[in-house]
Amino acid sequence: MGAGVAPPLDETPVPPGVAPGQGQGLEASDWERAAARVFAYLGAMGVREPKELELLREQIRPRVEARALAAPLEDPIEAAIEETHALLDLWIVSELGLEGDADTLFAARAGVLGGGVPGWSARWAGLSGCSLAPEIRALCVPPVPEPAPLTMEPNPIDLFLHRLTGRLAAIVRCVLGRPAGPNPAARGHS
Amino acid sequence: MTASPGVGGLWRHFHRPIYFSLVILTTLGAMSLLSAAIQDGGTTPLELLLLILYVILMLWINASFWTAAIGFIRLLRRPDDPGGPVVASAVAPQGEAGGPFKTALVMPIYNEDPERVFAGLRAIWASLVETGRHQDFEIFILSDTRDPDIWVKEEMHWRRWVEELGQPARLFYRNRVENTARKSGNLADFCRGWGGRYRYMIVLDADSIMTGATLVEMVRRMEADRRLALIQVPPVPVNRHSLFARMLQFAGSLYGRMFVAGLAFWQQDTGNFWGHNAIIRVRPFADHCGLPKLPGREPFGGDILSHDFVEAALLARAGWKVRLADDLGGSYEEIPPTLIDYAKRDRRWCQGNLQHARLVLARGFKALSRVHFAMGVMSYLASPLWLLFLLATGIEAYFKSLQRPVYFFGDNVLPVWPQTYTVEMTTVLVVTLAMLFLPKVMALFLLAVKPRLGRLFGGVPRATLSVVIESLFSVLLAPVLMLFQSKFVAAIILRTTVGWPPQQRGDHQTGFAQALGAHGSHTLIAVIAGGLAYLYVPSFFWWFTPVLAGLALSIPVSMITSRTSLGMLARRAGFFLTPEESAEPPVLRQLERNLASPSPLLCGEVDERDLWSRAVVDPCAYALHASLLPDETPSRRRRHYLEGLIFQLQDEGASSLTAAEKRALLSHRDGLYELHTLLWAGAEPPATPVAGAGASARP
Repeated sequence: MGAGVAPPLDETPVPPGVAPGQGQGLEASDWERAAARVFAYLGAMGVREPKELELLREQIRPRVEARALAAPLEDPIEAAIEETHALLDLWIVSELGLEGDADTLFAARAGVLGGGVPGWSARWAGLSGCSLAPEIRALCVPPVPEPAPLTMEPNPIDLFLHRLTGRLAAIVRCVLGRPAGPNPAARGHS
Repeated sequence: MTASPGVGGLWRHFHRPIYFSLVILTTLGAMSLLSAAIQDGGTTPLELLLLILYVILMLWINASFWTAAIGFIRLLRRPDDPGGPVVASAVAPQGEAGGPFKTALVMPIYNEDPERVFAGLRAIWASLVETGRHQDFEIFILSDTRDPDIWVKEEMHWRRWVEELGQPARLFYRNRVENTARKSGNLADFCRGWGGRYRYMIVLDADSIMTGATLVEMVRRMEADRRLALIQVPPVPVNRHSLFARMLQFAGSLYGRMFVAGLAFWQQDTGNFWGHNAIIRVRPFADHCGLPKLPGREPFGGDILSHDFVEAALLARAGWKVRLADDLGGSYEEIPPTLIDYAKRDRRWCQGNLQHARLVLARGFKALSRVHFAMGVMSYLASPLWLLFLLATGIEAYFKSLQRPVYFFGDNVLPVWPQTYTVEMTTVLVVTLAMLFLPKVMALFLLAVKPRLGRLFGGVPRATLSVVIESLFSVLLAPVLMLFQSKFVAAIILRTTVGWPPQQRGDHQTGFAQALGAHGSHTLIAVIAGGLAYLYVPSFFWWFTPVLAGLALSIPVSMITSRTSLGMLARRAGFFLTPEESAEPPVLRQLERNLASPSPLLCGEVDERDLWSRAVVDPCAYALHASLLPDETPSRRRRHYLEGLIFQLQDEGASSLTAAEKRALLSHRDGLYELHTLLWAGAEPPATPVAGAGASARP
């Protein structure tokens, strides 16, 4: 996956200088603070149903706890937001059966969060058994088509007297005993 | 002007000799008139300067006059009104090997108003759909936008429309990471990335409008001639409401059609490219139109700014045909709404055109391409030359006024009367004015003999009165534009900057403070020059009054002509009417509808002042923006730079970031993700609009 894609649970990042497994776990108060923000974040994403919110929160919590166990958390809220994001990405990847196609994942995420897939939050929360893959795929519109490159090199334009003035300047410099400066006319052909 | 294909083919060879002979002969005639008038006892250096300036300026005036005159004759003989509706060809385009091919409608944009850009493209597309040929076309928005807020809004518009269009995708958008070489670089980037997908591209400006039928016809004409690389369809100015713009639209529509018909007569297969509303064969364009940097420093070295003329010349140099389709309508553009905006546009174009002075004699170009370059240079150089001519005339008049006539020589008792050249000088003036104003009379004559066309311009009486008023205003505006353009030319040559804020495209009005800032110096010049002339050369003063009046009244004229109320009043009274106003084409009506009721954007209600923060905070806008970024990891150096910006944002707030820094933060998926999560982890959750508001508004 490309840049900006959150890692799945088994690839939880460990801060540099910290050995895996050195974390102290997640304090209940930390999780309470993080859970409130996760609710707000899910709301901003478009998840409204209390049941869906509750189910998603229950999926996010173990992911944050696992991270806290793996390494001390600098900011539990930030970790919770990252895990929410990661959970959404994982769901899209599994829904579409993607394999390492970052651009499609990003396009699908944009389509889903843009509100073009009715019922997506229920499906994400695990409340719906109907696959939304066709609807999501329909929204995966590429911003540009497949590359079809053409060569387009600069074409030379031979300016009147330009080459001549360059040569004259070089001769004058030579006569005056000065080192030859750059010849702009000759530079284009080097 | 062709009788039969054989005769017509032969006749074509005489077009250019006829045109250039007429221009040169009339210039020589005018020159002989003036030289006869000033050669009173030998020629002084000042008189020689006057003569040289007059010849150059007359050459320029005559070139325009004969273009219009030839165009007038062509239009007189043409059965159908040019610029009328185009009917889409029934022949579906076929590939060279019999297979289908695609044409790209490419629109390079740079910080333009996204509402107008997409409203225009939607109108063009709707018109294309009506032809039933839309499946042969794809739209490619080539954004060079640097403003982060406009960038995000462009994406929202694109996404909304792309979802409406559905599959297969026919609407593409990309924002260039670096806007190297500006518009020409933007087009070159398109060719290098996707040029192989298309046989043709139709280049549109942000304010271009073209009908679907015209687009289809352009493709058909290209298919009919495999040596044809470019067809320029002349755009007609439309859609502005201020008095200034309506007068310009009227003049552009009425006289413009004659000039275009005349240009097509003598340009033939070595036409020019005006930068937009033109179809281009992609492969030869890629092969021959890669532009080099000119040696030396700006303003005459570096990137070629006015690329279009050069691209046309390069295509012609390579043996390809470049044509002006003077018989095709359905092509429109919008013009600056006020005199000050017009001058601002001139400032942008002036440097590019002056740069062409270096190309006039460059090796390998066709003779006519050199003429195009020279005419481009003269369109701006003419102003300082006129200024110089006026100064030289004033100085000459002053010296003449110092001379005391001597009536008696030696012992001669009979007086020797000094020779007068009033008749010759008056003839020179009359000829010059005739060359300038006759095209307007010819245009009115065309309306009189073509009643249907006359009605579209509001009827001959109203059109005549419109021409008279327009001519009076153009006399007042000409000296102002002369001083503006002279200033621009001087600034470019002296490598100094002329401070101009960006041009505003939409209708707006000039206030007193703005008019005073722009024209205060013009008024002052009028007072000083008028005072000096009145004191020292009173006889010259009265000849000088039309120029002085234009400058002295520049502030009120600039303000009055910017008024949309006056423009609309004139329209209701039937003045300055154009065919596009009398019988509005459906594509322009569609544009109006699109602008009046724009499609709701994605991601809910949008506060247009700070879309950048929406892309950073709002999950919907963030996801959309991230999906359009390239899948690449920033270098370590870049990553540190982005982290620094994030710290700055956290410590000092968004207002501490420049537009370029905000853009940098939006430019990488990694940095954007980090910023997004950091802001959501802040002490307070960020304020976001109600998610799904956009979704609920969808059809």
